[in-house]
Amino acid sequence: MAGGPVADPVFVLLLTGLFLFLVGVFLLFTYRNLLRLVLAVEVLAKGITLVLLAAGVRQGELAVIQAMLVTFIVVETVLAAVLLAIVVVCHRTYASLDVRLLSRLKG
Amino acid sequence: VTLLVLCLVLMAAAVLLLGLTRDLLYSALALAVASVVLAVVLFLRGAHVAAVFELSVCAGLITVLFVSTVSLTKDSDQRDESPLPRTFIVPMAAVLLGVAWVGARFIVTRLPAAAAPAPGSFAEAFWGLRATDLVGQVALILTGVFGMLATLRAKDGGRPRG
Repeated sequence: MAGGPVADPVFVLLLTGLFLFLVGVFLLFTYRNLLRLVLAVEVLAKGITLVLLAAGVRQGELAVIQAMLVTFIVVETVLAAVLLAIVVVCHRTYASLDVRLLSRLKG
Repeated sequence: VTLLVLCLVLMAAAVLLLGLTRDLLYSALALAVASVVLAVVLFLRGAHVAAVFELSVCAGLITVLFVSTVSLTKDSDQRDESPLPRTFIVPMAAVLLGVAWVGARFIVTRLPAAAAPAPGSFAEAFWGLRATDLVGQVALILTGVFGMLATLRAKDGGRPRG
């Protein structure tokens, strides 16, 4: 292909999607602050969105992949809302956002 | 393709900024920028409805939730935070980009391409083929609502236990 693989939109979408996914996983293993961990999950979700889009473009099934993306966005939002609620509770309980304190939560 | 590449580079830069900055508020704003750029990418590739959802829900609602949570927890003990050293980020990003490049090449060579784009609109696909997803979405939203209610239920007036 002229221009190499970067000229292929599917490759570029996949490359960025996988990169964001890996960055999200890396941040998940690196940070201990609960809010930063939720941000890392969101980064991971952005990567998955791009990979789904690349698959839809490649397969020519853009309408179906859009429907799946809408569902995925709902999943992402609910996940973020519940995780942020847990962050607030952890802050109320321990006045800290260190993820290691979560092992002490009871009840 | 040039505009698409530009958007994706901007998105990756926003995510790297999110990982680098020490201020959580800036991190949340960087995530919002990444969401806006993702919405533009979705629009450029013809996924207009998903782009609108991404823009309104992810760039809007989730950012508001993040900023509210940052505001609610700003007096927390942040000493355990371990921001990454900036000298460490560049080689790590290069390694991750290399792994992503190999992975993307691997997938592209094995993912069969469609001979022609499948006909049909988003409405036909959503209400026809993926109508069951709506049940899942309603269940998810209810799960989120009840999960938040259960989590935020104050048992002891929110006193820190130390």
